[in-house]
Amino acid sequence: MTDADEGRELPQARLTQGRRTHLSVIWIIPILAAVVAIGIAVNRIMKEGPTITIEFRSADGIEAGKTFIKYKDVRIGQVTDVELSDDFSKVLVTAKIAKNASGLMVEDARFWVVEPRVTLSGVSGLSTLLSGNYIGFAVGQSKKSNRAFVGLEDAPVVSDQPGREFVMTAKALGSLGVGSPVYFRRIQVGEVTSYQLADDGKSITFKLFVNAPYDRFVNAETRFWNASGVDVALGANGLEVRTESLVSLLAGGVAFETPPFAKPEGPAPAGTGFQLFDDRTTAMRQPDAVARRYVMYFDESLRGLSVGAPVALLGIPAGEVVDVSLEIDPKMGRPRGRVEIVAYPERVVRRLSESSEQKGRDVIENTASRHAFFKRLIEREGMRAQLRSGSIVTGERYVALDFFTGVPPATVDWSLAEPVVPTVPGTLPELQAKLESILVKVDSIPFQKVGEDLAKTLESANRMMADLDTQVTPELKTTLAELRTTLATADRVLKGADNNITSADAPTMQALQQALDEIAGAARALRSLADYLERHPEALIQGKPEE
Amino acid sequence: MSTPPLTARGAGLVACETCRLVVRPIAPGHAGHCPRCGAQLESRRVAAVERAWALLIAAAICYVPANMLPVLETTALGTTEPDTIMGGVVLLWQTGSWPLALIVLIASVMVPLGKLVALGWLLVSVQRGWTQGRADRTRLYRMVEFIGRWSMLDVFVDTFTVALVQLDPLMSIMPGPGVLFFAAVVVLTMLAAYSFDPRLLWDPAEPRESGHD
Repeated sequence: MTDADEGRELPQARLTQGRRTHLSVIWIIPILAAVVAIGIAVNRIMKEGPTITIEFRSADGIEAGKTFIKYKDVRIGQVTDVELSDDFSKVLVTAKIAKNASGLMVEDARFWVVEPRVTLSGVSGLSTLLSGNYIGFAVGQSKKSNRAFVGLEDAPVVSDQPGREFVMTAKALGSLGVGSPVYFRRIQVGEVTSYQLADDGKSITFKLFVNAPYDRFVNAETRFWNASGVDVALGANGLEVRTESLVSLLAGGVAFETPPFAKPEGPAPAGTGFQLFDDRTTAMRQPDAVARRYVMYFDESLRGLSVGAPVALLGIPAGEVVDVSLEIDPKMGRPRGRVEIVAYPERVVRRLSESSEQKGRDVIENTASRHAFFKRLIEREGMRAQLRSGSIVTGERYVALDFFTGVPPATVDWSLAEPVVPTVPGTLPELQAKLESILVKVDSIPFQKVGEDLAKTLESANRMMADLDTQVTPELKTTLAELRTTLATADRVLKGADNNITSADAPTMQALQQALDEIAGAARALRSLADYLERHPEALIQGKPEE
Repeated sequence: MSTPPLTARGAGLVACETCRLVVRPIAPGHAGHCPRCGAQLESRRVAAVERAWALLIAAAICYVPANMLPVLETTALGTTEPDTIMGGVVLLWQTGSWPLALIVLIASVMVPLGKLVALGWLLVSVQRGWTQGRADRTRLYRMVEFIGRWSMLDVFVDTFTVALVQLDPLMSIMPGPGVLFFAAVVVLTMLAAYSFDPRLLWDPAEPRESGHD
C-alpha cells in the first residue's frame, strides 16, 4: 500500500473477526474426560449384575459390604444390605451379584450361610473362622431367572458334585442324620443329604447322594441298609457282629451292595427309590423267584424253631422256615408239629461247583426232572428233614436236610400243593430220650426207703452211744481206779524185787557171789590140771603117779 | 462504577504479564513480544474463556467419578474394602471424629465443588459482561487461584497411606481409581483458573470482542 493509493476512495476491506467454526484443541480435554468417565460408568453398569434378596431366618455373621456370596469358593456377589423383613420375623439380605454370575440366579438356586461346622464325620468351613461367614451358593437346574430367594437353614451337603441322589424309605431314622456317610464295600462314597417324615407319618424318607464314580454301582437291584453302630445278630447261625467303620459307629451310616444273585441292568437313574433295610442280612436276603413250599411234620418239641430259621441241605442254606404250627395227626389223632418251609433251589445251585452247576440248573428248571430228582433223594437215598440245634447257648434250632441210613421208607406226593418232606427225630430228642431213661432208672431207686433205713440205723447208733455214756462210763471209772491201785501195787512189787535182787546183802546176790567163787575155784583147778597135763601128758593114760 | 476507567487495552496498549511493562502492540490482533523481558505479549489471554470453559467442564466431569469411585482399597485379612471420599467422611463422623470428618468434607468435597462453581460463575459473568461486583469477583478469582495449590492434599495423604500401610498378607492399602480422577479435578481446575484472564472482569461491556482475543 502506498500513500497515493491511500487517497483513493477505494472501499476499505473490512477485517471481520473470523467466527470460529472449528473447536479449539482445548476441547479435547473435556471430551477425553467425558469419554473416560462415561467409559468407566458404562463399564460399571455393564459389570453391574442383578441385585437379589435372600431371606434368612437369622443373619448369623452376615454383614453388609463384608459378606460375600461364593460359588466354588469364587466370589460371585457381595451383600450390600441386611435388614429385617416387614414383620420382623425374617432377615432380608440384599446382595449384588457379579454380571457374569447373573445367569446363575435361577429359580431353584440355593443359598445358605457357611459357618464353621464340626460334626462327628468331619470339620468343614474352617476358612470362615478368619474371613467370617459367607453365603454359599448352589446352582439350580431351572431356566427361569429369579431375584428373590429363600435361604436354606443348613448347607446342602452336596451341591454340584458329580454323582446321583437316591431316595430311601425306612421305618425309622435310627442314628442316621444329615451328613451320615454312605459306604460301599466300606469305602465312603456318599452322604445322607436330607431326611423327612413321610406325609402319612409312617416312614422316613431319606435322600442320599452317591458320588461319582461310585454311583454307577447303584442299580435297580442294589440293597441299602442302615449300617449304624454295631449290628449284633443272635440267631441259629450264632452271634454275628458287623460294623462298617468307627465313624459309622458314632455317626451312623448307610451301606449298600448289590447281592451276588442279582442281575443288574445298568446303573439306576437319579432319584430311584429304594427301601432302607435294617441290617445287611435282611437287605441281602434274596427275594427268591423260584420258591417252593414244603411241609414237614415233627413229633417232637418245636421249641427253639422260629420263623426265619434256616433250612440247610448238608449245611448249605437252602431255604427258611416260614411257618411253625400244630396240626392234628389224622391217623394218630394227636397234635403234631407242622413246619412249613420255603426252599430256594437257586441258592443251592449257586453253591454247586462249576462242573455240576449246569446239571443242577437243568434239574431245577424242569419240573418233571426236579420232581424225579427229589423223589430219588428221598425214596432211595434216605434224605430226611431233622431238627437240629444251631446253638447250644441260645437253643435256636434249624431244619437240616441230611441223608440217613436205616430210616423207614417214605414217598413224596407231588400232587399236594405243599409236598410233605419225611422227617426223622432230631438228635436232641434222642439225647433227651436217653437222658430220660437214665433219669427213670435213677428215679426207680427207693431213695425214700433207703433214707428211712439210714435214719433208723443212725437213730440206734445214737441210742447206743447214749447207753455207753450212761452205763459204761461209771464202770469204766471204777475200773480205772482199780487199775491205778493195781499199778501201784505192781510198782511196789517191782521195787521190792529190785531190792531183793540188786542190793549187796540180798540173799540172791550172796548166793550168786558164792556160786561165782565156786566157779572161779573150779577154773583154777582146771588150769592146774591143764598145766599138769601139759607137763605130764602120759598122766592121761597112766594116771598121776603116786607121790 | 459509572465511568469505566481507562484500561491498557482501551488506550491501545498492552501490559507485559511478566515484567508489567506497558508497551505499544505491533497490531491490534498481534501484540508481539515484550522488548524488556521477551515474554509474549497478550492484551487478553488467547481464547481465555473458551479454554477455561473446556478445562472447567473436564474438571466437572472428573469430579463425578472422583467421588463415586473408591480412593482407597483396604485389604485386611483377605477382605478387600473399597473406600470413597464420602464413605470416609461418613465413617469418621460415625466413629466420633467429627472435626476430622468436617475437615475432609470441606477440603475434599466442598472446596473442589466450590472452585468449580466459582469459576463457572466468573466465566458466565465475563461472557454476559456483567459490570456489577467486579472487585468481589476478582477477589473470588484470587481465592480460587490461592486454594488451588493446596487442593492436592488428599492425593498426598492417599499416596502416603498407600506407601506406609503395606503389611502383606495381614493388611494392605492400594490406591483406588477415584484418586486419579480427584487429582485430575484438582489439576484441571488449576489450569482453568490459570487460563481465565481476570482482566476480562474489568473490561467494559463489549462481550463479543473480549472472549475471542
